[in-house]
Amino acid sequence: MFRIPILIAIALTIAFSGGIWSTIAALNATAGFGAIRLGAWDAFPEAQTADADPYAKSHRANAGKLLYASAEGLAFTAAVDDAGQRLTGDCRYQISGQTPAARLWTLFAAAPGAGTPSPASPLPGALNSRTALYRPDGGFEIHVSRQAAPGNWIAAPAGPFRLTLTLLDTPTAGSSGVIDLSMPSIKMIGCGNG
Amino acid sequence: MARRFALHLVMAVAVGLVGAALLHLVIVLLLPQFSERDAYTRVLAKGEIQRFWRLGETPDKSGLAQDDPYLQTAVCAFDLGESPMRVAGTNPGVPFWSLAVYDSGSNEVFSINDRTSVAGALDVVLATPVQMTLLRKNLPASATQSILVESQSSEGYVVLRALAPQQSFAAAVSQFLDTAACTPFEWRSRSRF
Repeated sequence: MFRIPILIAIALTIAFSGGIWSTIAALNATAGFGAIRLGAWDAFPEAQTADADPYAKSHRANAGKLLYASAEGLAFTAAVDDAGQRLTGDCRYQISGQTPAARLWTLFAAAPGAGTPSPASPLPGALNSRTALYRPDGGFEIHVSRQAAPGNWIAAPAGPFRLTLTLLDTPTAGSSGVIDLSMPSIKMIGCGNG
Repeated sequence: MARRFALHLVMAVAVGLVGAALLHLVIVLLLPQFSERDAYTRVLAKGEIQRFWRLGETPDKSGLAQDDPYLQTAVCAFDLGESPMRVAGTNPGVPFWSLAVYDSGSNEVFSINDRTSVAGALDVVLATPVQMTLLRKNLPASATQSILVESQSSEGYVVLRALAPQQSFAAAVSQFLDTAACTPFEWRSRSRF
């Protein structure tokens, strides 16, 4: 007797919960298609344009961030190291290499959901192309760890974190040949106190 | 009988999954129109339009904050319904600045940085296509050096960023962002009289 109402209730429950859950999961998982992936680094050079895919438009409408326009720059983020392991404050990392051509760059580490590190804070949470120290060949080595390190050092937050490398005034933002570019590598060099 | 019920159950689950897929598409496609957390709504929540608002390091009630520790940011919402708008400022020694113009759907309309501007000065006039036609016919002397930008959308916002790579640049960056103007362009076409 109650079969039909039960069947309708099952169909509606699956439709609404599945639809809403899958949308939230999709919007949280990625900022759309159109990503370029260079090593551990991800960027979305077209997410702010009218040509962005529907997922990118939906994601940016929900996140409400002020994205970088093409003449401004391109922000790469990394949540994992080169081996694919999640970046965490328990380990020490070395970022080495060069950035793609850009007039200036900035790099900072922040926990997901936390604000950006303040340049006025006592621990250096960020670095830029003017404050970094370079090797004679023009490359750089940056240590990211909770313990202080000589040379370039960025203080990692506790727990999982993300690195954001923003290239300012870069031809990378408008180029489709971005795949040939090389980003600095992120290597884990030890965990704990060892 | 039990077998028939099982068949109906499978059908109900299948209908539910199709409905879930449809709902997923509808939400993804309609979210940009109905979102109250998008960048344009947040810029409007900063306060009155046609003036620059500086962003803090942590989100305020509008939900906007600086996205980079070294890039100081200011935003300004515009409405070209009455008149074109002019964004202007002089660079007191900031090593890098950039300006982005977005429409109300947060699509990029135009962007510029200090190297692509005229002599490093910030001077952009934004107008709708109709205003731009009138403006070009009778360009005021004050706007001959300006970069003229046509915007299909009459509402939107601009984002002005300036880089302070070291603390010693903070004063210049503050001066640049605080004195930058985002005002209606005072201009009357002669054809009106």
